[in-house]
Amino acid sequence: MNPVRRDEKGAGGARRAVFTPVDTRARVDAVVRRLGDAIELGLLSDGEQLPGESELAAQLGVSTVTLREALMALRQRGLVTTRRGRGGGSFVTLPEGPAEDRLFARLTDWSTEELRDLGDHWAAVSGAAAWLAAQRTDIGDLRQLIRSVDELAQADDPTARSRVYGRFHVELAAAAQSPRLTREEVALQTEVGALLCLVLTDTSYLKEVTDRHRAVISAVQDEAEDRARSLAERCVQASMTRLIELRLGATSAAHGPGPEEGTHGRQEYRSRRRSGHPA
Amino acid sequence: MGGRSTGLVGAADTPPEATAVVTGEAVAARVRDTLEDVFDTVAETRVDIVALLEGVSVGEHGPVTADLAALRPGLHARLAARALVSGVGFVTAPGLLTDVPAWLEWWQAGTDGTVRPLLLDLDPEHSAYSDYTHWDWFTLPRDTGQRAVAGPYVDYLCSDEYSLTLSAPVTVGGRFAGVAAADVYLRHFEAAVMPLLKRLPGSAHLVNARGRVAASTDPHHLVGSLTKGPDFAALVAGPSEPGRFGGLRVYRCDGVPLVLLVSDD
Repeated sequence: MNPVRRDEKGAGGARRAVFTPVDTRARVDAVVRRLGDAIELGLLSDGEQLPGESELAAQLGVSTVTLREALMALRQRGLVTTRRGRGGGSFVTLPEGPAEDRLFARLTDWSTEELRDLGDHWAAVSGAAAWLAAQRTDIGDLRQLIRSVDELAQADDPTARSRVYGRFHVELAAAAQSPRLTREEVALQTEVGALLCLVLTDTSYLKEVTDRHRAVISAVQDEAEDRARSLAERCVQASMTRLIELRLGATSAAHGPGPEEGTHGRQEYRSRRRSGHPA
Repeated sequence: MGGRSTGLVGAADTPPEATAVVTGEAVAARVRDTLEDVFDTVAETRVDIVALLEGVSVGEHGPVTADLAALRPGLHARLAARALVSGVGFVTAPGLLTDVPAWLEWWQAGTDGTVRPLLLDLDPEHSAYSDYTHWDWFTLPRDTGQRAVAGPYVDYLCSDEYSLTLSAPVTVGGRFAGVAAADVYLRHFEAAVMPLLKRLPGSAHLVNARGRVAASTDPHHLVGSLTKGPDFAALVAGPSEPGRFGGLRVYRCDGVPLVLLVSDD
């Protein structure tokens, strides 16, 4: 399909790139869009290592030269970090602390019906997880849940709150002893995680969220499975209701509640390298 | 069922009579041997880590993550040698390495026979899962100084698998340096022990020190559920005399923290 073979690297490859088809630019854009969307949507998770250049190029059906250009563009957007040397490679990097307007833009991509359905799905998974956890939880699982609620109460920015909120639900599914529900929660968090930041800016609501999660823990600890289920469901439903309220407000006003962190928009990306891998 | 055999001599290769009835003691011993084999992997890894850390200059220049690369040939060999082991490595105590706050030198077996490193985001600013020091496989060896079996549990940090993790503390110069550990996916553990459990005269289940079922031939005691019963933690720590609890015979798997429960026919 493409005259540049996958194994052509280095200076020779760069020279031969001159003779690649003229739609190469479009191919770079296509790859950037494909990978960029996957990262933004959470299909590729933070810190995940992308396949090696030749393997990835082959999978996408593009030359390594095209792939490198695309990776360069993704690095410039802060969505990919490349580390050299042993254990090196290209890694997915989620932008840090997405600016509020960026999140609102994401929220308006969802219709209220889609948000309601997402909430139904999430409530079903977390409700089932809580119901099972109440029958299967030992002290080790409870400790993790308690630790998360304590961290949630103390987290001082919406992004951290959202991460810990999500982690609580992942831990709840793990306490249910279900790898499938756990994977489902992890997948749900990639969709709902960024949106939750929007409702967790409000510290009075944070208090409500923390209390709701503590109530779930109590029910799980009491082995009251029906209570645990309904509390977990209501916990999710309350957050989703707030999101839908924001979404409805966001359609009439340019912004909902005042942004807390400024509006740097899509340019605000994380450039810091993750710890553990000095350049 | 026919006559009761006296044990499982020679069964480590091909069981001569896959349907012969066996005793609870024999099954408990085989379960112990199965996990002791995994603990051998952990112990070998631990020896390598201690040798490595003792050889590295401690201080401003080390140890660093790059030093741990020397563990890889051993880790890869152990993954290849033991089909039951799906992950193996060294989880450092935070602060051990001078170039990073925390690190897992962890390798996993792929389905295609390849091995790959686990690369976690350990940046607390960025990942809600960066702190691993609360997991049982870390805290149990750290707090007791003894080797431990963590799980069954959903390992959403490393493998997304329902797992057992066997670990042992690594101490260098009197200082806790982390844990050597190996992962056994529960489906593999089940495949290893179920043929044995099925040869018991009654339905049977294996539980951990918290009463969590790790393998079972009893549909009323499913894997992952909790068994109400005696103080399993005390049983695991106590003498290995088979006892009784309700309608169950109780066998300790000497040396590994699992208890075999067999119902009367």
